[in-house]
Amino acid sequence: MSEQELQINPIVQDSVIHNTKTLTNLHSLTASLFGVSAGILGLESYYGFLYYIALSITTSLLFYVFKLAPGSLAEGRSVLDTGRYYKGALELWTSPIFNGLPGFILTWTLFYGLVRA
Amino acid sequence: MAQIPPQTLHRDPQLFYWILIPITIVMVLTGVLRHYASVLMATTPKKADIKAIREQRALAHGAALRTNYHVLSRKSFETRRDFLIEGFESGAYLKAPNQKGQPPANPMTDPNAMEGMMGMMKNNMAMIIPNTLIMSWINAFFSGYVIMKLPFPITIKFKSMLQAGVQTKDMDPRWMSSISWYFLCIFGLQFVYVFLLGSDNAASQIAQQMQAQQMPVGPMAPGQDPSKMFKAEAENLAVIEHYSVLDGIEERLLERIKV
Repeated sequence: MSEQELQINPIVQDSVIHNTKTLTNLHSLTASLFGVSAGILGLESYYGFLYYIALSITTSLLFYVFKLAPGSLAEGRSVLDTGRYYKGALELWTSPIFNGLPGFILTWTLFYGLVRA
Repeated sequence: MAQIPPQTLHRDPQLFYWILIPITIVMVLTGVLRHYASVLMATTPKKADIKAIREQRALAHGAALRTNYHVLSRKSFETRRDFLIEGFESGAYLKAPNQKGQPPANPMTDPNAMEGMMGMMKNNMAMIIPNTLIMSWINAFFSGYVIMKLPFPITIKFKSMLQAGVQTKDMDPRWMSSISWYFLCIFGLQFVYVFLLGSDNAASQIAQQMQAQQMPVGPMAPGQDPSKMFKAEAENLAVIEHYSVLDGIEERLLERIKV
């Protein structure tokens, strides 16, 4: 986006921070629950991580469907375009995965240890 | 090739009640304590001298005009620019006009600068003291216990970190001791704090360190000569080539409503 375009349609930093924070909180809470379920299921190594990545992307998808889609489709954007709320598509789909990972590993280890060992 | 049977280890279930749960509870409570300590220790900004405030605000005014000039029409921009440049160059906004050109005071003797450093010290202390205390507590009481098995394999390099104080050579590095549970708690307890304290908490030290790295430098860094900063700001304002966002608005509008 050129500088002048940015000045015509300004981006408010506070809103960007608020959107990111909402998504991060949702993911860090759900990631811990995913860890609980992965531990109870007794998943090990790759299966656990794949399980986490799949569920995390599903969370993002649900977040898109219920929270972002109404506003962004009404604005005339195409499906799965997150430009109304987030700067890039990666901000919705991949960066929350890394935010929730430590919490996931913690609860995964805890419940794996409690159930299996 | 024969499959290596997984190592099994019989552990007393009491290990969970007397090691795992206490460490976890202590870690959570420390985070909560750190949050409330930082809330209580937050200093209210001190009342500044009216001249000092005027100096800061004038600089901020110049910066705001420099970044937002495009929303002003040419005439009003030029009026504001000329007014500010005149004030900046004559030194009308300086806190102490007769100190112009003197070397800045030593920041160690300036009480305002000391205040800021004290705040930083407090934050660092709130991070370091609980960490050292808990580390030594765990080392004193719980060193040498194997309590859990990680659900994923890791390389042998982690053995010295995860099994510190456990002297068994052939044990799988997946087994972890109490000190590594502590490390997992440091990194992974963020969700608990979000759940307990809300998203704006100051409990997690990882998040705090990130904030400290991104801390913006204030407009008035201590130890800088304000009269020089005013001169620089006046120069910045003078070289701006003005344009307005409303330039060419007619064409853009017509383009948009073209059928």
